[in-house]
Amino acid sequence: MKHVKFTLNGKPFEREVLEHRTLLHFLREDLGYTGTKEGCGAGECGACTVIMNGEAVNSCLVLAAELDGAKLETIEGEAAADGSLTILQDSFDKHHAVQCGYCTAGMIMSAKDLLRRNAHPDRHAVIEGIEGNFCRCTGYEQIIEAILDAADNGAAAEIAERTKGGDNA
Amino acid sequence: MLHDFSYHRPSSMKEALDFLAQNGPKTAVFSGGTDLFVVIRAGVAKPAHVLDLKGIPELGKISWDKTEGLSVGACVTINTLTEYPAVREHFPVLRSAGEELATFQLRNRATMVGNVVTASPCGDMGSPLMVLGGEVVLASSSGERRMPLSEFITGVKRTLIRPDEVVSRIVVPPTWAGAVGGYHKLKRIKGHDLGVVAVAMVRKENTIRCAISSAAPTPVLLPDLAATSSVEDVQKKAQSMISPIDDVRCTKEYRSFMVDIFIKRLMKELEAAA
Repeated sequence: MKHVKFTLNGKPFEREVLEHRTLLHFLREDLGYTGTKEGCGAGECGACTVIMNGEAVNSCLVLAAELDGAKLETIEGEAAADGSLTILQDSFDKHHAVQCGYCTAGMIMSAKDLLRRNAHPDRHAVIEGIEGNFCRCTGYEQIIEAILDAADNGAAAEIAERTKGGDNA
Repeated sequence: MLHDFSYHRPSSMKEALDFLAQNGPKTAVFSGGTDLFVVIRAGVAKPAHVLDLKGIPELGKISWDKTEGLSVGACVTINTLTEYPAVREHFPVLRSAGEELATFQLRNRATMVGNVVTASPCGDMGSPLMVLGGEVVLASSSGERRMPLSEFITGVKRTLIRPDEVVSRIVVPPTWAGAVGGYHKLKRIKGHDLGVVAVAMVRKENTIRCAISSAAPTPVLLPDLAATSSVEDVQKKAQSMISPIDDVRCTKEYRSFMVDIFIKRLMKELEAAA
């Protein structure tokens, strides 16, 4: 076992973790944070994307033991406690960017990371931003539109504001 | 689920190398884990220990110096590499290949050193590093040794690394700094994919250098060619040195064919850029 201290969506955590536990399984099975999904388990599909120390990563290829001192952001940190959605989530809703929903948590985390790096991405930058996330339902078009529209509606400023407030990082 | 192994995160090189001197054969060294945890999950590798290098400050360093060249530590990620100003300025072929490697999330974790130590024939960093004359620096508790990448990689997923060693960094000498260069990679889909076949090429003054991935057990480096060589001459040289195979991704004929196409395109591109 390994002792790790980290923050998850702004909240401090301290845990003993199995040394061979992936971050993905730690989140889902040990902490009950099941919003992050397991697709391929091998870094191909991006369903398990979370943001660790400000960088999007595939949580299936990270060990929980690496968490010591980390700042972690997952889909559970997005909507407010009263259920109100972020601009980005709202845009996914409006544009029907969700069909079966399995890729959505990873898509939102990749899009959030993209908007942090680039507040006003063009279509090409959006496509590159979600290159590591498979969607087998939508054909991507609605997802691309949702992200572009969210950027037009101030999603990047909202993300920056929430980050500053310590809400999710 | 991954099998039961123990996790170690040394905070100094000495600590890491002492651990490997004791436990090397049972240990898998990692930084990004983007290959390691895939092969562990598949049951292909079963190390008793995994050794995380990210706690060792000097391995996270990247630097450029006109005399030594570019030095890239074991824990420098591909995204850090491709965004590094000296890479953009002096080694466009590294940037071009780095950006073709896997996906953005994976490039946040994957490292150039890891890509080279994995030594997959379809690894994206092998051929561009070979054209630039890249060298690996190996460290162990008994000292350091250094060798060109072309000697280091000996076969499919085989290198000269010993179980008690780590590749602490890769050095790209300044010889080819400023060379125009490019990396063309054939994939089965438009998005990210493993390479089916790829060609790296640089051109500086009167010389062209070319290396080919996924067309032999190791990347194939062609001898230096005059920039005035005809496309056919370079293609002929390449065809005489590669030994492509049929596999799940494509046939050997298609690989050979695309090597010729990429050579033609790169020569044209680099001629225009020179």
